[in-house]
Amino acid sequence: MTALIAFGLYMVAVFALAIFANRVGKSKAFVSEYFLGSKSIGLWAFAFTYAATSASGGSFMGFPSLIYTHGWVLAWWIAGYMVVPIIALGLLAKRINQVGRIAGAITIPELLRRRYENRNVGNLATLLVVFFMFFYLMAQFKAGAQIMATLLDGVPIYETAVAGVDRLTSGIPWIGAADGDYLLCLLVFAVSVIAYTTFGGFRAVVWTDVMQGIVMGLGVVIMLVLALAQVGGIGKATRALGEMTPPHSVEVVVSRVEVSDEEIRLSRGEWLETAGERGVVRLKSAVLISAGSLKSEPAEALKLTTPAEIDNVLSGFDRTPGFIASIIGEPERYAYGDGQKGVYLTAPGPSRKDSGGFLGVMLALSFFAFWTFSGAGQPSYMVRQMAFRDTVTLRRSIVMVAVYFTLIYFPLVIIFTCARVLLPGMEVHPDRVMPEMAALLTSNAGMPWLAGLLIAAPFAAVMSSVDSFLLLVSSGIVRDVYQESINPKATEKQVKRLSYFVTIVVGVLGLLAVMHPPKFLQHLIVFASAGLGACFLMPMIFTLYWPRTTSRGIIGGMLAGGVTVLILYLIGFLITREFGEYLLLGLHPFVWAVLFSSIAIVGGSLSQEPVSETLRLRYFGISSEKTKR
Amino acid sequence: MQKPEELGKSFRQSKREFWVMVGIWTFFAIWTVVYNGFFADGGSAEDPEILFGMPKWVIIGVAVPWVLAVSTTIWFAMGFMKDTPLSNEEETE
Repeated sequence: MTALIAFGLYMVAVFALAIFANRVGKSKAFVSEYFLGSKSIGLWAFAFTYAATSASGGSFMGFPSLIYTHGWVLAWWIAGYMVVPIIALGLLAKRINQVGRIAGAITIPELLRRRYENRNVGNLATLLVVFFMFFYLMAQFKAGAQIMATLLDGVPIYETAVAGVDRLTSGIPWIGAADGDYLLCLLVFAVSVIAYTTFGGFRAVVWTDVMQGIVMGLGVVIMLVLALAQVGGIGKATRALGEMTPPHSVEVVVSRVEVSDEEIRLSRGEWLETAGERGVVRLKSAVLISAGSLKSEPAEALKLTTPAEIDNVLSGFDRTPGFIASIIGEPERYAYGDGQKGVYLTAPGPSRKDSGGFLGVMLALSFFAFWTFSGAGQPSYMVRQMAFRDTVTLRRSIVMVAVYFTLIYFPLVIIFTCARVLLPGMEVHPDRVMPEMAALLTSNAGMPWLAGLLIAAPFAAVMSSVDSFLLLVSSGIVRDVYQESINPKATEKQVKRLSYFVTIVVGVLGLLAVMHPPKFLQHLIVFASAGLGACFLMPMIFTLYWPRTTSRGIIGGMLAGGVTVLILYLIGFLITREFGEYLLLGLHPFVWAVLFSSIAIVGGSLSQEPVSETLRLRYFGISSEKTKR
Repeated sequence: MQKPEELGKSFRQSKREFWVMVGIWTFFAIWTVVYNGFFADGGSAEDPEILFGMPKWVIIGVAVPWVLAVSTTIWFAMGFMKDTPLSNEEETE
């Protein structure tokens, strides 16, 4: 119930900000205000909108579950964030803002089109933004719905509503296959974000980002203090982790001690003692024992292998009395790290499927590059860099984001290594580790009301990403397609109506696309992120810093980057038959895409006449003679 | 409208800053990847050394460079990066 109240208060604040933003923006030119906040975003707003958009659902759901599953090696996996603020904000921001203002551009495709005076460059950029960003939007819609469902699980009013949705949708093609809780949460989440983004535009998105950023930061700091206090210090947690060995996946038959006429359903996550040896298993799915029967059908479970963890569960966790689990068949062991003490303290970290471990050296290098440079290459961040007021704002924002990310990412590693000790067996549902940890820490501290604030953090993270992506796609369509190619003389009223309409339509299309939930959420996010970074990072760097770059080079660079990512994902799919990337020589596709994109830009540009002297002077302030010297 | 000479000066300064940032990234990438590549690997370490409550490799290979990277970022943003006028606006509404 606390979660529901927290969520309600949070949504009230979001809508209040959107209404206020709409009123503030009324006196200003519509397009620049709606899509770019009139390029007047100040220090706090700029720093937090960047930080909050950057920290999506992955940071608060996926990342904690990875720390929990693989241990301290995640400190290395995320290490690139130490230089993300300086690279992602510093590398392009000053020049992109300057060139954007010279060009009078509102969007990234518009900036590229005007810089090269070539319509094809702008059209290709729009196409790539809409294509990859739509995958991103789908993934975040699904993540938002999942987080909301996790937060509201067990709230009576919500459970009744879910049952109603289940009844209404069963049998309907496409959406009938989805669970009622997912559909309900997706609908509420999507309608809320579409509404406040449409109504308030960029300024509302930025202001809500500030609030969401503060919620996230406070949540992490409070959790850190509570986790360290309750685990008895980080040293104690690390030593406990050093004794741990990865769990086994097993098949069990659950028996009850006495025959009963009652049908019994044991939920996912229930702890049971094992028959014979002293041990415990945790159910990975619900188990049913029919009336009059003593045994269940075989079911999947997680078997702990660390004696201290088994003692911890036997002495401190509720187990369903009168039931016992018998393990059948051979357990499924981790491909790397099985039975190996210390595996949670070191690289490459335990891995269930990969015999080389979770994080090899080449992959660690790839991620160091991926976090920093793919962040710099995202159009959703680039467009923010066109919106800050002056370079003083930029410089101070870089410092603020550097401190903010340090307070978020490294503490998350500490918090969720403590979670391994405090919450055993969360491998049955790793995505729930964040809300479960929040509930445990606040309840142990005698402050259950605080859980509402802590679990609002991941929700805030997803919301602040979705609103930005939504606006980016709609700005691409309104500004770069309609205003540029269809109706260049459109009145402000026409553009305003169309902007509202397109934002709603894009949001609704995203909603419809994920009503049948897509699989491989995390892969979808990484794919979209790598694709956008691959298409735009190097073309934008060359556009801003190399006057010799031409339209041919830029088109080649965007295509080479995007195609490299698509091909390496296609090879990955053909090899594994699952959506995922192919790591050529152990490196992430993004690294190869950056390389090929750079080669294509240089090759393409040198094969074409340089841009005119007028353009060179306009965007760089230097003549070709000076460049040659 | 900004004069070409001013814009050119600002462009050259931005380019200098660009290469310093690339240098900073390279330095910290080498530090974390090389140090951790040698010392974080648990192949032979069943009982890794612990420092300040964390595995020693996390302190030297991640925490120390992280603190230094933030300090470098502060120096870069507040000491090295120069302010540039951005008001060369040509709105096309």
